[in-house]
Amino acid sequence: MGFFETHLVSLTIFVPLLFGGMVAVLPGSETGQIRAVTWAGMLVTFGLTLALYLGFSPQGPEFQYTFRAPWLTDLGIAYHVGVDGIAVSLMLLAGVLGPLVVMASSGTVQKRVKEFHLALLVLQTAMLGALAALDVIVFYVFFEAMLIPMYLLIGVWGSEERQMAAVKFFLYTLAGSLLMLVAILAVYFIALPSGARSFGYASLYNALAPASRELASCLGDANACATLSPLALTLKTWGPWLFGAFALAFAIKVPMFPVHTWLPDAHVQAPMAGSIILAGVMLKMGTFGFWRYAIPFFPTAAAQARPLLATLSVVGIVYGALMCLAQRDIKKLIAYSSVSHLGFCMLGMLSLTTEGASGAAYQMLNHGVSTGALFLLFGLLYERRHTRLMSDYGGIAKVMPWFSTAFLIVTFSSVAVPGTNGFIGEFLVLLGTFKSDWPLWYGLFAATGIILSAAYMLWMVEKVFFGPLNQPENQALKDLSGREKFAVVPFLVLILWMGLLPQPFLDRLAPSAEKFVARGRVDRISAADTLVVLPAEAAGHLIAHKGPRGDNSIALSADPSRLASLLVGHVPTGMLPPRVSPAGRLGPDHRSTYPHAGPKP
Amino acid sequence: MNTLPVFLQQSLAPVNAVASSLWLIVALPLLGTLVCGVFGKVLGRANVHWVALGAVGGSFLLSALTFSAIANPDALLPTVFSNPGQGIRYAVGQDLGTWFAVGDFIVRFGLRVDHLSGVLLLVITGVGFLIHLYSTEYMSHDDGYWRYFAYLNLFVAMMLTLVMADNLVLLFVGWEGVGLCSYLLIGFWYKDPQKAWAGRKAFITNRIGDFAFVVGMLLLTLMVGAASEQLKTSARPQLAERYATGVSQVGALHFTSLEQTARTLANGARNSQENVLQPQSLIRKGPLRAFRFSEVLTAVLVLFLIGAAGKSAQIPLYVWLPDAMAGPTPVSALIHAATMVTAGVYLFCRLSYLLVFSPTAMAAVAVVGACTALFAALIAFAQDDIKKVLAYSTVSQLGMMFMAVGMGVFWAAVLHLVTHAFFKALLFLGAGSVMHGNDDETDIKKLGGLRRQMPWTWATFAVGTAAITGIVPLSGFFSKDAILHGVHETTLAGLPWVPHLVYVLGLLTALCTAFYMTRLYLLTFEGERSTDAKVPHAHENRWPMTLPLVVLAFFSVVALVHGIPFLRPRGTEGLQALMENYLYPVFDTARLVTTSVESVKAPVTEHVPWDAYLQAWGIALVGGATAAFMYLRFFPSRRGQTAPALARAARHFAQAKFYVDELYDALLLRPIRALAVILYRVVDALLIDTVAVRGSAWVTARAGALLRYTQTGDVQSYAAAMVLALLGGAAYVLVQVLR
Repeated sequence: MGFFETHLVSLTIFVPLLFGGMVAVLPGSETGQIRAVTWAGMLVTFGLTLALYLGFSPQGPEFQYTFRAPWLTDLGIAYHVGVDGIAVSLMLLAGVLGPLVVMASSGTVQKRVKEFHLALLVLQTAMLGALAALDVIVFYVFFEAMLIPMYLLIGVWGSEERQMAAVKFFLYTLAGSLLMLVAILAVYFIALPSGARSFGYASLYNALAPASRELASCLGDANACATLSPLALTLKTWGPWLFGAFALAFAIKVPMFPVHTWLPDAHVQAPMAGSIILAGVMLKMGTFGFWRYAIPFFPTAAAQARPLLATLSVVGIVYGALMCLAQRDIKKLIAYSSVSHLGFCMLGMLSLTTEGASGAAYQMLNHGVSTGALFLLFGLLYERRHTRLMSDYGGIAKVMPWFSTAFLIVTFSSVAVPGTNGFIGEFLVLLGTFKSDWPLWYGLFAATGIILSAAYMLWMVEKVFFGPLNQPENQALKDLSGREKFAVVPFLVLILWMGLLPQPFLDRLAPSAEKFVARGRVDRISAADTLVVLPAEAAGHLIAHKGPRGDNSIALSADPSRLASLLVGHVPTGMLPPRVSPAGRLGPDHRSTYPHAGPKP
Repeated sequence: MNTLPVFLQQSLAPVNAVASSLWLIVALPLLGTLVCGVFGKVLGRANVHWVALGAVGGSFLLSALTFSAIANPDALLPTVFSNPGQGIRYAVGQDLGTWFAVGDFIVRFGLRVDHLSGVLLLVITGVGFLIHLYSTEYMSHDDGYWRYFAYLNLFVAMMLTLVMADNLVLLFVGWEGVGLCSYLLIGFWYKDPQKAWAGRKAFITNRIGDFAFVVGMLLLTLMVGAASEQLKTSARPQLAERYATGVSQVGALHFTSLEQTARTLANGARNSQENVLQPQSLIRKGPLRAFRFSEVLTAVLVLFLIGAAGKSAQIPLYVWLPDAMAGPTPVSALIHAATMVTAGVYLFCRLSYLLVFSPTAMAAVAVVGACTALFAALIAFAQDDIKKVLAYSTVSQLGMMFMAVGMGVFWAAVLHLVTHAFFKALLFLGAGSVMHGNDDETDIKKLGGLRRQMPWTWATFAVGTAAITGIVPLSGFFSKDAILHGVHETTLAGLPWVPHLVYVLGLLTALCTAFYMTRLYLLTFEGERSTDAKVPHAHENRWPMTLPLVVLAFFSVVALVHGIPFLRPRGTEGLQALMENYLYPVFDTARLVTTSVESVKAPVTEHVPWDAYLQAWGIALVGGATAAFMYLRFFPSRRGQTAPALARAARHFAQAKFYVDELYDALLLRPIRALAVILYRVVDALLIDTVAVRGSAWVTARAGALLRYTQTGDVQSYAAAMVLALLGGAAYVLVQVLR
């Protein structure tokens, strides 16, 4: 483990900030240099996320490249970062979008260039940090830190009504996340006894999971309720509220129906870069939050809320699509299509099947690529024509063939034509939905998205690109320049690549999805494993053994005593494996070797 | 297969070499797309069409090699199921690895060519090549020449994917892919809003079908999963083990998995033991619990029927096809007559072993087909656009194929598919030739008398007309008669009226077909040239356009050899036609199912059905003669004589396509759009955004404004408030204590 591997995640997170510092000291008039430095920073970040992605071993431990440094030890807060399959995939997505966004917006942003690029770089750090955080406070700090640069991006570089949209975005999101903060603090206080309190993700989960298990059996069978532990009792009363607070914060971010109305305004007013990042990565913080925090922390409350959330997701799919049909504004249409697509992500996740969850995760990536590309392309068009109304266009396929071809390919990805990335995600989500314990009509209604998405997207394409070219302003439109092609082509490559060869991506998502499903399912919760975040050095000594479903036994490849010494200080003493079987595998009772109670002093 | 002559059973190339180069058949046109699409402008016209022609031609040659290889009984698919049944013989396959796999679900890139897909391969690449050749002349003046060939090559690749896929998901790639190309090609002249709209209409109507298709696939996945689960508890553990392993390796939607499921259920149906998986078994676990396998199958098949209705333009989703005539005419010939629209027929033939489980679904398919056939034929009566007549005729003929499929006469459906591909492509290309020679005039009332001016077009069109009408020695006669005869002789369990109804509707359709085709032919080619004609003298086209016409006319005649029942193979009863014999191994499992489940009883041909032939021929002649009598003798529309009011009203009604488009518009499209607008205005803008979001902001602001009055800054009032509060508190405590 060299310095690079140990600190790879931290490097990835903070390199954009580092370049931000460089941008900050450049004079504001040197726009060329500022753009170049920002682009270089984003490119380096992309390289790092790629290294992380390729280095991530799908068969390895759940969390890899972990790094932990004490921070506010008295409060149980540590700087703890690391990635699992979904986090590393979303980080790669953020990494890919970064340089493309910078390249694409070099033509659009002319005022306050320095501050703009600074905001982009800070935003990148915040997003990557929120994805990699393994400490709830670290997550919260990064999660909230995303708000400020995005607020500025919308409010300063946006369109006519940017102030209104920025304030709406900010307040909406903040309202949710403040509730979440309260919930985080409550979890902190109830989960672990005084003296052992920690904001560590694993500690909190491992403390809550056994109580959830008790509660689940209690909910299934009233006889088991007599012997509930204090924590389980607390969860029984307060779990739904705590889950509700988390869920509201993340649902606003997703955004789920009916808390989605900030999105169209934010997207419409945001500059192209803002829209791309907002749609591409930031919305996934909502789904990621459900995946990482809300559902694993409170599986029983989530199970109670599941029918409601799933119904809202289905409604979101159909409602978002119907909204698109009522739009005249292209950007608003794309924004509402996000509501529809994110409904698929939520539905797949909530189906709590491996297929559905993997599909949802894949759909998160797809949406980032496809909708990001849609906003990018429309941004390029807006830059030329300065109108968002469909009726101001028409027939521009004639003057912009390259642009139109690219837009059409992205459109087909967005409507999930097989062969593009969208199909894989949507199909898996629908499969998961049908496979779940819900009545069949959930899947049936969700599947109408197949028809509606084609209806609104192709309608828009027809209005914008086809028909007679009778507006004089449109006749002079220029096709994509070399720089713009350079920014657009990667999206097209990704769309086809992820559609034709999805397995490398799915391989990284599926183990995470399996873990998530195991943690979220109340009926199977006894099979859920303890969440172990291994220190990076120890991870090198471990090869997770991928056995039959539910078997998360760990095979050791090296000296067990060395491993034990590595684990000391990272894993609470009570959670250390006391005994290692001669075959080099933790015994079949390995679950019991990780007691779920808190660490003993 | 013993009766196949020995020379037919010898492969022209080593079977293994053919199997390992199957991917090239798809890859060549795909490469053509890439080259034409990206470098087309640089290459220039001449090179573009060489690339496109070369790609499809290469595909054709490879298809021919494959075709010869699968005639070989040694051609055996590598398969994970042991004892896969005989249906798997006479086929080659290639596995190109996993496409995606999550949890229990796996989809592989697998290609397979058996006798069914082999026939279609030849049709697609053969007719495709001719139409590419034709297009080089037809599209020679178009700006988007390279774009056109890129789309056309892409279409061929997608269609080949559709017929070569060895699982339903990959088939769906082709299924949607051809729809996509159809969208692009219908809207090829996108500057015309009508054409762009027609393309969108086609895609979205197809999508309604695709929605059903996807749901059907998912239900089928669940059903196979349930079968696998329930086999484990049944009496035969080895079978369960083998089945589960097979499914986990190739995926639930692989055709072998589905075929094996059908075989297992069929064998169970013959077995009266308890604890054996039967079509009537209840599904015990999972989302489909409490349904029977047979019920799920029926639901799946009805969903596939909706899917197929979208792609193959059947009621209620046929409305896109007539509008699809907005595309260039060669496209209409290739996509909207010969290949893509037959995908639904192919799907049901491919899944024949599932279809025959459910008499209900079969009846649904047959009745939908029969109704479509007649309905479209009636509309075709009154259309004046040469392409629209042919479009409705295509819908009608596809309905005939659905009739055959629905009644389980699969081979006749395939035969009609092939002959229809020849003569309908011929007719469309002929129509294109007419248009090309007459300055794009499509109104048959403004044509006429082209017989002498365009002799090649005339002669070939006449052959096509005779073929579709069912004049005796042409292929259309035999294929159509195979359908009608087969339908008539079949009995469907529990639904005895269906074959009769379908047969009667089929006969009426044949009558109508003869009528409107004769009308079309007469108005276009015979009589005097119309005074409204755009150009005074039409000209015959160059050889790239006439050669394909001649070749297709040749095949429209020659294909008859597939339809005459003259073979008497060993091991089967009765006489078989060449096509029936050739497709025998494909429908092996379906036959097993029909004998076990007793859903449908297929006819046995003991002798050549001369009486039926005579009947069919008579009907064709009557229809044709009526039209000839009316239009040659009277030409009422031309002489200015008014027809009776009733006839005019009926004609107007049919000309307006029975107002189905208007009906859909009023019942579906407008309400949905209105709903969207209302929801947007009321729910999104008013309820959520104004009342809830701004409302809460307003309440906060008001509350703040009110509370502001307490912040007076006056120390005395603060002190007074404190004293009052203290007093109040004290009083409260006092009351509590005293109680």
